[in-house]
Amino acid sequence: MLRYYLKLAVLSIRGNWALSSLMVAAIAIGIGACMTIVTVRHVMGDNPIEHKNDQLFHVQLDNWNPNDPYDEPNEPPEQVTYLDSTALLEAGRAHRQVISFKSDRVVQPDGDGVLPFQQEIRATSADFFAMFDVPFKYGSGWDANADRDEERVTVLSASMNEQLFGGEDSTGRTLMMNNEQFRVVGVLDEWHPVPTFYDLNNNPFAGPEEIYAPFSLAVTGEWGSSGNNSCWKPPEEGGYEGYLASECIWIQMWVELTDEANKEVYAQFLDDYVMEQKQLGRFPRALNNRLSTPAEWMVNREVVDDTVSVLLALAVLFLVVCLLNTIGLLLAKVIRRGNDISLRRALGASKSELFKQYIVEAGIIGIAGGLAGIAMTWLGLRGIENVFADYEFISYLVTMDWEMVGLAVLLAIVSALAAALYPTWQACRVSPASTLRIQ
Amino acid sequence: MLKMTDVSKIYRTDTVETHALRGFSLTVEEGEFVSVTGPSGSGKTTFLNIAGLLEELTSGTYELDGRDISSLNDKQRSRVRNEKIGFIFQSFNLIPELNVYDNVDVPLRYRGFDAKERERRIMGCLERVGLASRPKHFPAQLSGGQQQRVAIARALAGEPRFLLADEPTGNLDTHMADSVLDLLTEINEAGTTIIMVTHELTLADRANRNLFVRDGQIHDGPPELHFATAANA
Amino acid sequence: MDIGPIWRAMLRNKAGFVLIALQMAVTLTIIVNAFGIIQERSGRVARDSGIDEANTFAFASVLFTDYEREQRKVLIDEDLDLIRNVPGVINAVASNSFPLRQGGWSMGVALEPGNQGPESVGTAIYFVDEHGAETFDVDIIDGKNFAPGQVTWSIEDDNTWPAYGIITEALGKEMWPDETGSYVGKTVFINDTDPVNIVGVVDTLQAPWESWTGVERSMLVPQRRPSEFVRYIVRAEPGMRDRLMPEIEAMLAASNKDRIIRDMTTMDEVRKLAYVGDAALIKILSFVVLLLTIITSLGIVGLASFNVSRRTRQIGIRRALGATKPAIVRYFLIENSIISAIGLVVGSALAIGLNIVMVEAFSLEPLAWYVIPAGVIALWAVGQLAVAGPARRASNISPAIATRSS
Repeated sequence: MLRYYLKLAVLSIRGNWALSSLMVAAIAIGIGACMTIVTVRHVMGDNPIEHKNDQLFHVQLDNWNPNDPYDEPNEPPEQVTYLDSTALLEAGRAHRQVISFKSDRVVQPDGDGVLPFQQEIRATSADFFAMFDVPFKYGSGWDANADRDEERVTVLSASMNEQLFGGEDSTGRTLMMNNEQFRVVGVLDEWHPVPTFYDLNNNPFAGPEEIYAPFSLAVTGEWGSSGNNSCWKPPEEGGYEGYLASECIWIQMWVELTDEANKEVYAQFLDDYVMEQKQLGRFPRALNNRLSTPAEWMVNREVVDDTVSVLLALAVLFLVVCLLNTIGLLLAKVIRRGNDISLRRALGASKSELFKQYIVEAGIIGIAGGLAGIAMTWLGLRGIENVFADYEFISYLVTMDWEMVGLAVLLAIVSALAAALYPTWQACRVSPASTLRIQ
Repeated sequence: MLKMTDVSKIYRTDTVETHALRGFSLTVEEGEFVSVTGPSGSGKTTFLNIAGLLEELTSGTYELDGRDISSLNDKQRSRVRNEKIGFIFQSFNLIPELNVYDNVDVPLRYRGFDAKERERRIMGCLERVGLASRPKHFPAQLSGGQQQRVAIARALAGEPRFLLADEPTGNLDTHMADSVLDLLTEINEAGTTIIMVTHELTLADRANRNLFVRDGQIHDGPPELHFATAANA
Repeated sequence: MDIGPIWRAMLRNKAGFVLIALQMAVTLTIIVNAFGIIQERSGRVARDSGIDEANTFAFASVLFTDYEREQRKVLIDEDLDLIRNVPGVINAVASNSFPLRQGGWSMGVALEPGNQGPESVGTAIYFVDEHGAETFDVDIIDGKNFAPGQVTWSIEDDNTWPAYGIITEALGKEMWPDETGSYVGKTVFINDTDPVNIVGVVDTLQAPWESWTGVERSMLVPQRRPSEFVRYIVRAEPGMRDRLMPEIEAMLAASNKDRIIRDMTTMDEVRKLAYVGDAALIKILSFVVLLLTIITSLGIVGLASFNVSRRTRQIGIRRALGATKPAIVRYFLIENSIISAIGLVVGSALAIGLNIVMVEAFSLEPLAWYVIPAGVIALWAVGQLAVAGPARRASNISPAIATRSS
């Protein structure tokens, strides 16, 4: 029977070209509007490290002002101090741990006439690459020894390697930065996590840094942090030393724990550490440590803008309007086909058989609408890209993946079926005698 | 085979009650060719709708092959219409988007026959009505007479208990009308029961039993008698 | 024409009309709220940052060779000297940031010392010398600019805050809400215990963060800082900016090879980047409103045409009975008005409801009082226009139809 219904559906659609096209168009536009926003939201809220989500934890300690939380109602600061991050790293209680901050250096490429340029750099401890599953094309990261010995080593991103060394295997070669010579130990493969989950404090959609260097080296060299920097009270002493010893927060810390049990253990360790520090007069606020997975951290940081949610609400309403349009068109079609319905009823089709026939037809319109809707979504995303052209990274936010494509078609079919319910129900209630013009 | 006893059909609105059929009783035996005639408003259209299970009766019983079908639910009535009754309408009512073969096919699809069985029946019926050579034609490409024959084939395909014809030649010229009536006579002689509703006496002549409907009541006998009586009344 | 019969006729055939009414309702909801957002964002984008944006540009000088502190001071002095003497330059200053830059420095200021708690008010900080006011093109509406003697270099390892400051009027209002007199001469405390004497008040100077609630609160601080990374802001004569930018960049790059000049940008570009999100949202929502109006109109045209075709016989009979063509058109216009009225009333309620939800959940601004009535009138007009075509066609139906048997 399904094949029969399909055949009838195709004939009906062909016989009512204009009406059917309008229906497909209405659904396509509604789906397009909706899916454009859903896609953007999906990509923004996507967790690039989902497969490892339950093993990575962002560390927060509340060393803040006793009179005032860092953030209402009682949120600890999103970064940690130099004192705490290095102490915790030293203690080494997690499977892996990383402390890092964003800085910048002036890169001085080889060759005459090539102008030096300033570049953002991530100063990080060695575990960064292993923890975040960063893929390497050549070489690898540095190890804990290099960290401790403050070796002048560096890792380059694929595009930085392209720019400086033409994309060749540059491991072993040297790179001059701020008049200091660095040795390249690794080159990354293409890596564009959206958002940059490991550092959500600056622009999380701008993409990862292009150059990496050891944390300890950066500190000794007094490279300033170019990320966020906050202090609730001024450093007690002056100068860089004073800054390192202060309560200023400017470092991100993540740990990798292999399972749930270890999370408990590590949380306890953090509590113990803070209690210890309290003895020394620090941490005036009540115990308030946090360990958040990347997913939790992204929610906490509200990576998905409220604006997107507003647009989503409006887009759904837009779809509703398009569906109302579709219902109207379907109703018109059904009433026009009144004869066909009565005839089939007279010939013995039951209400449910007719219902199935029209639902199948609606389903086909839905599929067509879904496919057209994918095209509309693509157009919508290009529109968004255009309107946000000044954001360099916008192209990463407007890509459709297969999940979204499938969702578009599914949404279209569901919408078409929902829109068809009332008209089809009406159609089946048409009595067999009514429109056959029996004298 | 078909027995209606004391059937009434009352149409009710907020303000008005119309008795379309009153205490209507009728028995039709297998193989009969019955004509039902009457002036407009007499209730013959209502009778047709009731007989064809297109409408429900208000009171009385309707038995088909000994089974009371007056109080079936919608699904059951659909089954009965599909399996036991073959409709022939004045305005043919073929589906314009389907070709001849597919039009005859429609009631068979709701029977659950497989493709081979359907083909056998369809081609057989088209053969009988003399249109086996045009299965792929569309209704628009056929004459009125040919379209009505397709409708008859469609009515026969399910091997119904009886054909219910509503003014079958109303939209045809005399020549086509004759050939359609010949066909119906032929079909009846081959054993199929036919109930034909019409207002034309010449058609009624072709039947072997005449019923006359007036003011919702039915009467047996030749129509001239009743028309005469009506004229004198 | 009597509304009664039209209304009763509609009641007997509700489905098609309910659909149109519903469409109008949802469309109104979307349009009204979208418009509210557009208005709000447009307002934000239009705010004055306080500086002479059309003629101001900025860039950074990044030293990558080790210079002693005194050497760095000399370099900065030399640079500013060079820049200020270029013909076409009104003034220039070395500062840590500028309005709308998205990054900068903020501190808490309080009325009493020792209060870093809830009493302190966040303010943006701009380190400048006495040339800062003219470079930023701010109007000193009270008090006066820094005297050259009040401007000092920061001292190594000493975090004591300079004792003078110039604040924006907004900051003043925040600190002293009940004060009707002058803020000049008052003292605030920064860095916990360091006093700052207010010597001047400017009307407008925005903070670097345009979406911050305290965006209008800024303080000019008379301190020069000899860091390796220096930001220069230059104000040019009208029309000179585009010529001066590459000229000054080349001049400074040549004058000292131990540093690079980067991030050359105009204030116009900075504004554009700061408000990209708002501008984009305005464009997107405007497009949505337009598209929606078109879709709803087409929907009405379609349904109305259909309704007309269903009532062909009835219309023909009316004409046969003496109705004029304009009377038929009026019938449909009135019918559409009734549907619109119902739909738009429901839509207004929905729009207000949605707005309340969005104000709660997404801290949107509540709608201005005139937006809903304006939307209602606009959509009603759209509906009438949409139904006009089918109504005209209806009026052209021949009265002869009445005598035709179906």
